[in-house]
Amino acid sequence: MATDVRPKPVERKPLEWFNLRGKRVGFWAYVVMRLSAIGLVLYLFLHLVILIQLAQGPAAWDGFVALAKSPAFLLLDVVLIVGILAHGLNGIRLGLIGFGIGVPRQKVMLWVFLVLAIAFSILSALAIFSEPH
Amino acid sequence: MVEKQLTRERASSWSWILQAVTGALLVVLLGLHMVVQHFVVKGGLRNFNDVVAYLSNPFVFLLEIAFLIVVTWHALLGVRAILFDLGLKPGTERRWTAVLTIVGVLVVAYGIWLSATIVLQGA
Repeated sequence: MATDVRPKPVERKPLEWFNLRGKRVGFWAYVVMRLSAIGLVLYLFLHLVILIQLAQGPAAWDGFVALAKSPAFLLLDVVLIVGILAHGLNGIRLGLIGFGIGVPRQKVMLWVFLVLAIAFSILSALAIFSEPH
Repeated sequence: MVEKQLTRERASSWSWILQAVTGALLVVLLGLHMVVQHFVVKGGLRNFNDVVAYLSNPFVFLLEIAFLIVVTWHALLGVRAILFDLGLKPGTERRWTAVLTIVGVLVVAYGIWLSATIVLQGA
């Protein structure tokens, strides 16, 4: 049976996300999860809207592709990948704990996942900026 | 009262499990999407003709639609969870669920229409 691993109801209200004083690191992870979630939902809709250019023919799409390969855009790609990694890896951690896997070692798990997220983020940034565009 | 409370707790547990299941599927589907649409492509994005040719592969088409459905579901369940944490009345919660369901159906319909339109340009 799934366990509710979320913070207490009063702590889940959005204004409380920014009140980090005296909070455990698990609460920080919760806030990262919520903020990355909002960012990723906005990105998802933006992504789907931009793809409409594929219905408008080659000129529209290939023009966008040229823009998307500019350094500023590539930096946004890195931000996106950091968001996906933070949200995805933390999600895997919450899923495991929720289904009762690794609960006694959850502290270690949190730090391992954090290190993985940082390592993959750096690797992705290097891959994106080292590729010729 | 207790019965009502229990029903709501159970509902929240179901949405949690659904969020975990779609999340697990996303690890695979988003991973595949990133690799086949961006990482293996020179420069990270295909040009128009390559997109049309690539999406015309029925397996790729179905994979992207599956990804679209799962990611939309996961995203809107997440929006719902954030809204519900504001402490809404049960009636308001039900209305939000209905609104988000409609949004989800529209997003998926748009995605399928767009994918079909892209493929038809190559026909």
